[in-house]
Amino acid sequence: MKRTYLGEFEEIVLLAVAVLNGQAYGVLLMHEIIEQTDRSVRLNQVHSALQRLEEKGMVRSEMGEPTNERGGRRKRLFSVTAFGQRTLHEIQEVRASFWQRLTPTLKFSV
Amino acid sequence: MQHQPPGLADRFLQFFCAPHLLEEVQGDLHEEFEYQVERVGIRRARWRYWRDVLGFLQPRYIKRKPSQYPQTYLFSLNMIRNYFKIAYRNLQRNKAYAFINVLGLALSMTCGILIFTLVNYHLSFDNFHKNSDRIYRIVTEMHMENVSYDRGVPAPLGQVVRNEHSFGEKTARIATVTDRLIILKKGSELIKLKEPEGIAFTEPSFFDIFNYPLLQGNKNTVLVEPNTAILTQKMAKKYFGDENPIGKEFWLENRIVFTVTGILKDLPPNTDRKTEIYVSYPTLKSYNSWLASDDSWGGVDDAMQCFTLLRPNVSATQAENAMAPYPKKYRPSSKNVHHYKLQPLSDIHFSTLYDGPMDKQNLWILSIIGFFLIITACVNFINLATAQALKRSKEVGVRKVLGGFKGQLFGQFITETAIISAISVVIAILLSFLILPYANDFFDAQMSLNLFSDSQLSLFIVALGVIVTFFAGSYPGLILAGFQPVIALKGKLSHQTIGGFNTRRALIVTQFAISQVLIIGMVVVIRQMQYAKQSDLGFDKDAIVMVQVGADSTDIKMKSLKHDLSTIAGVEKISLCRAAPSSGNIWTNTIRFDNQTEQVNFGTNMKAGDEAYLSTFDLELVAGRNLFPSDSVKEFLVNETFTRKLNFSSPQEAIGKVIAANGGSMRGPIVGIIKDFHDLSFHAEINAVALTTNKDDYSNYAIKLTMATAKTTLNAIEKAWTAKFPDQIFEYEFLDESIAQFYETEERFLKLMTLFSIIAIFIGCLGLYGLVSFMATQKTKEIGIRKVLGSSLAQILWIFGKEFARLIVVAFLVAAPIAWWFMNQWLQDFKFHITIQPWIFVVAIAITLFVATLTVIYEATKAALVNPVKSLKSE
Repeated sequence: MKRTYLGEFEEIVLLAVAVLNGQAYGVLLMHEIIEQTDRSVRLNQVHSALQRLEEKGMVRSEMGEPTNERGGRRKRLFSVTAFGQRTLHEIQEVRASFWQRLTPTLKFSV
Repeated sequence: MQHQPPGLADRFLQFFCAPHLLEEVQGDLHEEFEYQVERVGIRRARWRYWRDVLGFLQPRYIKRKPSQYPQTYLFSLNMIRNYFKIAYRNLQRNKAYAFINVLGLALSMTCGILIFTLVNYHLSFDNFHKNSDRIYRIVTEMHMENVSYDRGVPAPLGQVVRNEHSFGEKTARIATVTDRLIILKKGSELIKLKEPEGIAFTEPSFFDIFNYPLLQGNKNTVLVEPNTAILTQKMAKKYFGDENPIGKEFWLENRIVFTVTGILKDLPPNTDRKTEIYVSYPTLKSYNSWLASDDSWGGVDDAMQCFTLLRPNVSATQAENAMAPYPKKYRPSSKNVHHYKLQPLSDIHFSTLYDGPMDKQNLWILSIIGFFLIITACVNFINLATAQALKRSKEVGVRKVLGGFKGQLFGQFITETAIISAISVVIAILLSFLILPYANDFFDAQMSLNLFSDSQLSLFIVALGVIVTFFAGSYPGLILAGFQPVIALKGKLSHQTIGGFNTRRALIVTQFAISQVLIIGMVVVIRQMQYAKQSDLGFDKDAIVMVQVGADSTDIKMKSLKHDLSTIAGVEKISLCRAAPSSGNIWTNTIRFDNQTEQVNFGTNMKAGDEAYLSTFDLELVAGRNLFPSDSVKEFLVNETFTRKLNFSSPQEAIGKVIAANGGSMRGPIVGIIKDFHDLSFHAEINAVALTTNKDDYSNYAIKLTMATAKTTLNAIEKAWTAKFPDQIFEYEFLDESIAQFYETEERFLKLMTLFSIIAIFIGCLGLYGLVSFMATQKTKEIGIRKVLGSSLAQILWIFGKEFARLIVVAFLVAAPIAWWFMNQWLQDFKFHITIQPWIFVVAIAITLFVATLTVIYEATKAALVNPVKSLKSE
């Protein structure tokens, strides 16, 4: 199968971008991820992941409007590309197919 | 917003973060900061902010996005290559300009490097001893009519200091006798060697004080037994070749035999101790019993020196105070009051009072001269470069239009300067290597240039290159880089915009003032030397040769040789004597006069010679008669000064009065008065002189030769002499030559002055050349117009001539009083000297004008001959 691989953290960031539906940007993503996963995430990690994702073509970005709370600075807003969406689906499919084969044994063992 | 994130962190972020990422990153950080302030408070939020900012310190955020426009870098490889190419082409095109610049810089840098090496060499003297700050030499101040200084001490002093005081941790006496004959016996064959550095009778503790390591032999036992010696490696090799030198023997003047018991490591070049043969101190008794005796407090021989290593925490003054009672105790009756002083080791090399080999002041003067030479060479470079600047205005314009920054253009011109100064440095290093042997000879030094191992020197050379580059290159570089492109391209730049004409003039004036001071000084020194060497000294010094009496001569041998010599054809007169009327070998004595118990308060220069002394040296008697022949002290002759010092109104009155000299052992009446003659160099007043007969004091034959046959006569003398003293070396010296040696320092000073005045004139001329080429370009139009209006060539040349004549005259007005003052000061060193006459100044200005004309005439004529059509056409 020929596709770009995603790291675990990248996958989470990509999912978060997808969830936030066009409103995703650095700090917000960070808080979202912290809330959902309960792990400590630093801003530079998020930014790096976003940059890598953009290089891989899974997200695209544009500058938003200037905002007051950021001292008039603009946000860079991220949204998932079609390629990114397909990649997420593919990942889920792979996982699902494994889970399917795993489910009975798991059930028995539980 | 009430809360601000830490400003420093923010600025740091702005510094390192790529501009295209900065906005979003900083925005996020600020937003997060606000959030954290709410959550955890301002203090911790600020900490977090720092932590977050540092988190972004990664290549990913630092790397700048490639711009869509090509960027100009200050230091791009291509451009630097281009600078070199253009610089090379420029130098190629202006060969004369490049040549002059390189020559001027290289010459001054050579001086700089050599002077640096010399100064460094002298400052490094005797710096390799442990505890060198505690090592002192005990010296003697002698208070008589005047205070005089002697680096020696009475021989027993060292022993007394050691026995009676504890201020010295170690104290050592060392008696050095120079210029001695050493004899090696190989079977029946005698090998005779003259050792100019002589041998030193040394107490073993000398080697505890000083760091001259012993390679062979036992440190505790060498130099203890009489007749033992240690040699340096070099000396051992010279004497005994590759054989083991330990246990070998050598003779001092065929009188005393020494056995080698140890070998010293070769002495480093930077020590004032040059003696390479050390023999045990107890042997001194058999060599010079007076010097070795424990009560020879009567006199000071500067051969006898005493060094001490003070205990820690003892000051020199304390030690001097401890020695203060000695003169009273040991020399109670002497009118010559001694004060024993401690001279620090670091002072010995530089002390003028105690005959240190180098005056520190001279080193300073040399450094200043070197500095001045480099500065003037740089300034000349600036002059020439700005004169050339106009030619390159178009280039600057084009470069600027194509997007060159000021900084880049500056870089370009600095590169050109760097090339010139790099070439100069290389030439200067080569020249230094070539000149070094001569410099060593000249300064009597053993300097070496170790470019790679001597980090100070290599650092100096690199610094020299860099500083010269920036000093010389900055001003022209800034001027060129500052051209307005529009004006530059239109060709509307004039020299007014470059400016600094008066600065240039001031510079030329300074340069020529210095040259003229040096020239005037040179002429004065030459005149004084001529005066000292050629004027009548009051005795005959021509065609007189001084031959030493053999070391172990008995009276009979001495007299029979005199007889043999007097029969040789070509020997006109011969006298046995102690020394010539004027000699460096002085024996000063305080006498008692006319049976008085008190000594007189002046020193008398004692001479010993037989009845032929007066006629041989053609000395004149003003009263009385010559000495009668005698072998011992019977009668005295004195000079006019002697009678004057004793307040006789006429010389005649002194005749018949009795003199007692040398503590009463020499006694006799005055029988005649000699007309005053110069018994010392022209530096000193004429002393009181007393001459007597005493065969024990004779050490020379003074032989007046017929000059025409001098060579054959000398050969015959040598044969007769060697027949009497087969185990010694025949030596002779012409009197006029040994008198000339009085002025060795002055001769050296003269040579140095000549050298520097040539260099100064040369560099001054480079400056002149720079100025004239500058003027020529500046006045192109003016000359064109004048020619059109009918000026003649001579009139145009006078435009230049007027300018330079004026500058040189101004320089002369500055130089003349300075030179007069300095040289007058210098002449004060001589008790007998010339007066500075006006013609000397005329010579100086004439020489300068002549050289300046030679420099200027070519450029000026070239400018004057330009066709006015050409110079006026272009606008």
